[in-house]
Amino acid sequence: MVEPGGGPVLAMRGISKRFGATRALDGVSLDLAPGEVHALVGENGAGKSTLIKVMTGIHAPDEGTVEIDGERVTLRNAADAQARGIAAIYQEPLIFPDLSVAENVFIGHRDQGRVVRWRRMNDEARAILARLDVHLDPRMPASGLPVAAQQAVEIAKAISLDVRVLIMDEPTAALSAHEVERLFRQVRRLRDEGVAVLFISHRLDEVFEIADRISVFRDGRHVATHARDDVTRARLIAEMVGREQADFYARTEHHAADVVLRVIDLGRTGRFSGVSFEVRKGEVLGLAGLVGAGRTDVALALFGIAPAEAGTIELGGRPVRITSPRQAMELGLAYLSEDRRHVGLSLVQSVTSNITLPALGRYTSKLGLVDRGEERLAAEEFRGRLGIRTTGLNQPVGLLSGGNQQKTMLAKWLNTEPTVLILDEPTRGIDVGAKADVHHLVDDLARAGVAIVLISSDLPEVLAMSDRVLVMREGEQTGLFDRAEATQERVMTAAVGET
Amino acid sequence: MSTPAPVWIRPERIKELSLVGVIAVVVVIFGFLVDDYYSGQFFNRITTSVVITAVLAVAQTMVVVTRNIDLSVGSIVGVSAYLTGQYAAAHPDASPVLAIGLALGIGALLGAVNGLLVAYARVPAIIVTLGTLAIYRSWLVSHAEARTITADSLPSWVVDLPTRTVVSVGSLDVRAVFFVVIVIVALLAVGMQRLRWGRRLYAIGSNPEAAAQAGLPTRRLVFGAFVACGALSGLAGFLFLARFGTITVVAGQGLELDSVAAAVVGGVSVLGGSGTLVGALLGAVLIDVLDQSLVRVPQVSEFWRNAILGALILAAVIADVAIGRRFRRRWSAEARPHTRVTEDEPADQAPALEASDA
Amino acid sequence: MPEWTRERTWEVLLALILVGTVVYNASRSPVYLDIDNFVNLFRLSIEKVIVAVIMTFVIINGEIDLSVASVMAFSACVLGAAYDAGVPFPLAILLALVASAAAGFLQGQVIARTGISSLVVTLAGLIGFRGAARILLEDRSVGAFPQWFTDLGREDLLGPLPFALVLFIVFIVVAGVVLHRSAFGREVFVIGDNAEVARYSGIDVARTKVVLFTTSALVAGVAGVLFAARLGSVRANIAEGFELDIITMVLLGGVSIFGGSGTMLGVALAIGIVLNLRNGLGLANVEANTQTGVIGALLIVSVMVQNLLDRLPLRRREAEA
Repeated sequence: MVEPGGGPVLAMRGISKRFGATRALDGVSLDLAPGEVHALVGENGAGKSTLIKVMTGIHAPDEGTVEIDGERVTLRNAADAQARGIAAIYQEPLIFPDLSVAENVFIGHRDQGRVVRWRRMNDEARAILARLDVHLDPRMPASGLPVAAQQAVEIAKAISLDVRVLIMDEPTAALSAHEVERLFRQVRRLRDEGVAVLFISHRLDEVFEIADRISVFRDGRHVATHARDDVTRARLIAEMVGREQADFYARTEHHAADVVLRVIDLGRTGRFSGVSFEVRKGEVLGLAGLVGAGRTDVALALFGIAPAEAGTIELGGRPVRITSPRQAMELGLAYLSEDRRHVGLSLVQSVTSNITLPALGRYTSKLGLVDRGEERLAAEEFRGRLGIRTTGLNQPVGLLSGGNQQKTMLAKWLNTEPTVLILDEPTRGIDVGAKADVHHLVDDLARAGVAIVLISSDLPEVLAMSDRVLVMREGEQTGLFDRAEATQERVMTAAVGET
Repeated sequence: MSTPAPVWIRPERIKELSLVGVIAVVVVIFGFLVDDYYSGQFFNRITTSVVITAVLAVAQTMVVVTRNIDLSVGSIVGVSAYLTGQYAAAHPDASPVLAIGLALGIGALLGAVNGLLVAYARVPAIIVTLGTLAIYRSWLVSHAEARTITADSLPSWVVDLPTRTVVSVGSLDVRAVFFVVIVIVALLAVGMQRLRWGRRLYAIGSNPEAAAQAGLPTRRLVFGAFVACGALSGLAGFLFLARFGTITVVAGQGLELDSVAAAVVGGVSVLGGSGTLVGALLGAVLIDVLDQSLVRVPQVSEFWRNAILGALILAAVIADVAIGRRFRRRWSAEARPHTRVTEDEPADQAPALEASDA
Repeated sequence: MPEWTRERTWEVLLALILVGTVVYNASRSPVYLDIDNFVNLFRLSIEKVIVAVIMTFVIINGEIDLSVASVMAFSACVLGAAYDAGVPFPLAILLALVASAAAGFLQGQVIARTGISSLVVTLAGLIGFRGAARILLEDRSVGAFPQWFTDLGREDLLGPLPFALVLFIVFIVVAGVVLHRSAFGREVFVIGDNAEVARYSGIDVARTKVVLFTTSALVAGVAGVLFAARLGSVRANIAEGFELDIITMVLLGGVSIFGGSGTMLGVALAIGIVLNLRNGLGLANVEANTQTGVIGALLIVSVMVQNLLDRLPLRRREAEA
């Protein structure tokens, strides 16, 4: 082990970062010592991704300082951070599929000569990879590699750049148990050579295996930092979730009614398997779990975007095969996606036009022309009902604030008058007032008889709004709780797995 | 993970070898269909006719690997051929090196204009080169004022160039021009493989996002690719001049399509990032062999050429996509849009990371 | 449609340029403002302008169709070859149109189902269909069409307006209505802005694309027939290079090359500018080829200016709730 001594290699002090209405980081301080593996845990939305972006120079903090070796620095951009020895590896590796492994490792190095010395480059790449306990032919094109190998290539790239701080964001998400073991050996080796590794993961068992210190983030704040031996899983979970239940969620009691949607043993290779649940008329089924648990995949299967390969779906008692969104809509389903900017809304089109898009047929005359008056009426109605704030319904929706965009997207799907409404992270990235509006709306809808599947990573929200909670982890169903028995700890434990 | 294989054949080599194989098959088939097919004359005709397309295919490849296209190469050939012809006619005692240098220089200049617009003004390559195709040609027309360069006005070294032979094996002549072009392509191919510059062109086409993030000077590199393409097109213009002697204002029209066809058939992916110059050369050879062979089959009229060419391109592209799909699906973010969002970043966020552009 | 500052600005700009072009040309040539001259403008370019109208849809949809000129020639050659082979003329016209539609359908299917970019597929089409045209007619030219056919191209229908011009006016008005007022037009815009959003909203993206490319080729086919009527004969090499003018008309009209935005009014104005430009240059004895060069420059400049405008903060963010 490298002798601990001197100050931290990288220190973040009092970092704050806002995005519009949301405060992603609030006065966060964290330091990384050379030769340690420092794990960072926290729920979705706790601020981990934003911290990485500040560390790698992608975002500049609004407040606070970044220090390297005790000196204040300003990271101007990603290349600047890289030049200072800070590198990050993400879940989806950035690889050049047509170039060889060795080229992937060494491309972009500034100190290389004009001429590529293939033999030397291959040998060096092979050597670095061997140190990572990975034996690849460096001449292979990178396109054929499995994810674990690509990750190794990225680590090799970082090593070749003399990285001092290596940030790994959910590195084990796509790995098998065997590959995880190998990754850990690589990480340990890096640590022994003096690299500071920031290891971000949801998997607490892995965290306990690899980390020297563990820090917890919650709601954009740094909650605590512990030495690995000084803390228990339970304590971590409590710190990750512990907050008061606000009681501005107004959920009226739900009475049992007919089953509208039943899913039996649903699966899609590589994404999820063995998922079974029912949703009744007027019921809210919460779908809890961490990023990557497979909840959105289940939604996409129900909505026909990425159809299921195994299992059955029954709507109103009849089995159906859903192969397209249009078909899903005709069967009474609606899906509000989590990515409103990329698949949820057409940013260029007006608010009105976005709202009426899936149900356009209703406003179209026999000739195929759209009745704009009818459209406007519908949009007006939703504007009032949902409180969408915009200077005009003709405004391109890309100009609206996040909360109002979300409301527009909600209006869009409510307009299809669904029987089953699947909401994927409906309150992500919107302000408190808008959140409350959405919750009231969900409650209204449920009372009116709509069956709702609520996918959310906001635990208090899930617990307050749901009549029952289904928890997923790694593509599998790990818990199904009634409202009465669902607590934050129980749900979080099911979401992160048993020890 | 696998242990390293003892013998490593790069996938590009496999593509190239299979092209050689296809050419061989074509030759054998036509050997049965056509009398006196295997003659030295035929070989000579092919080696003479292929050089221009071969150089253009190589030029096009340099741009295509960066995920761009250059439709103006035909016009560059015309301008270069004409101006070089004018110069040679006016200065019959000038050194050949100067004349060839002029052709290269003109091409490089025209390519630089393309490069500026694509790389720095960020106008899509298809638009830029569609426009410069017209602009360069129209400039040539107004400059030429309907005068034609005629073969007899040219110095003899130009006119005689296509027939000069390096070595003869029986009735097979290895023409000097053919030989030089092979050497140039070989040198460039080595350059693309061994020079950092060449490898980075592939990187840009392979994953532009990763290239930006790795800090590659993408704009400068793309600009350079267009300049190189232009220079090579200028050279092709010189070869055009030497071969035909008579240059009208429509010289070179349509050659851009041949260059794209040859590159695509030669295994250069239109998605960028893969394909070799040697492959493009072989693609040009294959097309030319097919072309010349079909001419000799009396039942098939010469007008089938374009239809077959179009079908060939489509087939080559579909094959390329079908194979490439399997590999690329994992890497492209587009394949899984629903996982693109980061967990805690709301909509109102700063724009995506800015690349450092040298 | 949302009221876009940018689109309105562009239309106003175009209107000014159009007026400027007309005024300038009129000042240089006394016959310019004569109604016959204007009619002639359209008559000579009718094939390009109707294809420009359909190309507007294709580009707004986020695609491009480089094969239109070749399909035009292909259609004309089908007409010529069929007629030459003794097929009754109306049937020959029908054959030409069916063949064009089939060409577009083929391209559309490849683009929609395989995900290969429309640039590549229609580039192959550009080469291939020109080749098919050459196979049909080889080096020959076919003419001697029935009198009523060639009269259609030359004589007037409605007052001073020939058949072709009436056709164009009707076509562009209908197309404008379809683009801006119909559900189909809305879908075309949304797909061009973001095909994934369209898909997630239940739109059948593949079907829309196939329809667009089929229609595009069909209109090109009609243009080919019109060309035959106007010229009185057909050859395999007609309409070479037309795609430049057509694409310029659309992009100059403010349609974004990246898809998702544009107006038919803008394209109409741009058509006016391009036609007047060519006409004025022609009257000033500028060579046809040089005119083409000017059009090429116009194309590049249009996109460059659009890029610039995109970067300007012409819109400001909504105030917070």
